[in-house]
Amino acid sequence: MAENISPEQSAVAERPLEKIRVAKREYPGALVVVEGIDGSGKSTQLYLLKRWLEIGGYRIHFTEWNSSPLVRSATRRGKQRRLLTPVTFSLLHAADFADRCERQILPLLHGGYLVLADRYIYTAFARDVARGCSPHWLRNLYRFAPIPDITFYFRAPLDVAVDRIMAGRPKLKYYEAGMDLGISLDRAESFRIFQERILNYYDQMMPTDKFVLMDGTAPVNRLQKQMREIVGERINLAQFAPKKS
Amino acid sequence: MKQNDKANPIAVSTNGRYGKKAASAKGGRPSRFYGVALPGVKEEELSGTLIVIEGTDGSGRSTQITLLTEWLESEGYAVQTAGLRRSSLVADDIDALLAENAVTRLTLALMYSTDFFDQLERRILPALRSGLIVLADRYIFTLIARAAVRGIGRDYLHGIYEMALRPDLTFWLNVRPEVAFDREFKKAHTISYWESGRDMSLSNDLFQSFIRYQSLIKKEFEYLSRRHGFIELDGEGAVPAVNRELRKQIGAQLGIKNTHYQPSSALATLWR
Repeated sequence: MAENISPEQSAVAERPLEKIRVAKREYPGALVVVEGIDGSGKSTQLYLLKRWLEIGGYRIHFTEWNSSPLVRSATRRGKQRRLLTPVTFSLLHAADFADRCERQILPLLHGGYLVLADRYIYTAFARDVARGCSPHWLRNLYRFAPIPDITFYFRAPLDVAVDRIMAGRPKLKYYEAGMDLGISLDRAESFRIFQERILNYYDQMMPTDKFVLMDGTAPVNRLQKQMREIVGERINLAQFAPKKS
Repeated sequence: MKQNDKANPIAVSTNGRYGKKAASAKGGRPSRFYGVALPGVKEEELSGTLIVIEGTDGSGRSTQITLLTEWLESEGYAVQTAGLRRSSLVADDIDALLAENAVTRLTLALMYSTDFFDQLERRILPALRSGLIVLADRYIFTLIARAAVRGIGRDYLHGIYEMALRPDLTFWLNVRPEVAFDREFKKAHTISYWESGRDMSLSNDLFQSFIRYQSLIKKEFEYLSRRHGFIELDGEGAVPAVNRELRKQIGAQLGIKNTHYQPSSALATLWR
């Protein structure tokens, strides 16, 4: 949580992105995040990582985007009745994430858990920038979120990702396809252009937010091996291991 | 009446610098938004006037808005009202969150900001595009003050609301917490959980809790008043006196020369 700052400081919009302060890391836990567009293979990989850690008896917790019951009804209503604008869409998801962050992620990090998150604030940045929101405004909005220890960025070429999604889904939802932006009347076409914008912004964030790039087209087991190695190197897993009696 | 014109980085002083007349002025005019404009909004289309009345519960806000609406309509101006927790998107959800009392301060602050921007985009901006007078029963300032006293950073909050529209006039009906308490108690015969800041554990005594909470809010408003150039009015004054001052200021903004007004018999009970 950001503390009070003197009124003399300039408005958020006038400051460069990296100067917008973020929450301090003062907890014994660790946070591992997977990001990437739909169909990039990230959820499969995080599931396998979770299984590996669960079987090993580690203190972990898994959390995913858009799962808080408190604001779920509002999100559903907004989507069904198509009331959402880019700004209210963004704020409602931020409220939802704040709830999960304050009541789940932060207490778990303070309690010494290894938290695995399927999508994190970068999902909001990419999606909302693609909808036309200001990146500065978004960075400020999510300033309360703890910075991940590792952010795996699963990248698959647009065609591969779109084909994977289209094969598994009979009909794309209105907001999912970015229909609210009026890019194209054809849902599949709109979806492709929207995903392309999201992919572009993910690529832009990669160096500044220190993403670990993962090739979404590589074989599943090879990717998982790579992922486990990186987690083992960068996280002190012994800290989360079951206590020996 | 006291007016704060002190220069500051975000706010610009009041009195018609970008009201109806200023809307066509070119160059050097500050944006009608505090920071970046809302996506898809063209400022030059906004020909209406946004007037905000701020003040705690018991400051007489809603009475004044009722009277001002009648006066403006009698002068031939169309009025749209706005307020807090009135959006079709999330108003009911906020009610549920408040009742449940499980919500954290940050989630609540962000739900209120969702409610605010929903109303800004779906109610206030369309009205201003049609040249209406928007009377807002509270605005971003109450939302910032409530969140700030709960420890959420002021610059974080101003950052969220930088896409809000700058009001043409912002009035602050200032009353002492003790007076607000008397008026609220007379009206409702009880003091609400949130208006006494009970979530903040300030005191087990409800009266003390109310006074301490409202004092914190008042202090925050004093800061906001300097930063954003509020027109401060004595909310403890008689209704006709406060209303006369409001009409004088709004009349000057809109170019209404004779601001004489006598309420209709339907509203006569408010006029005391």
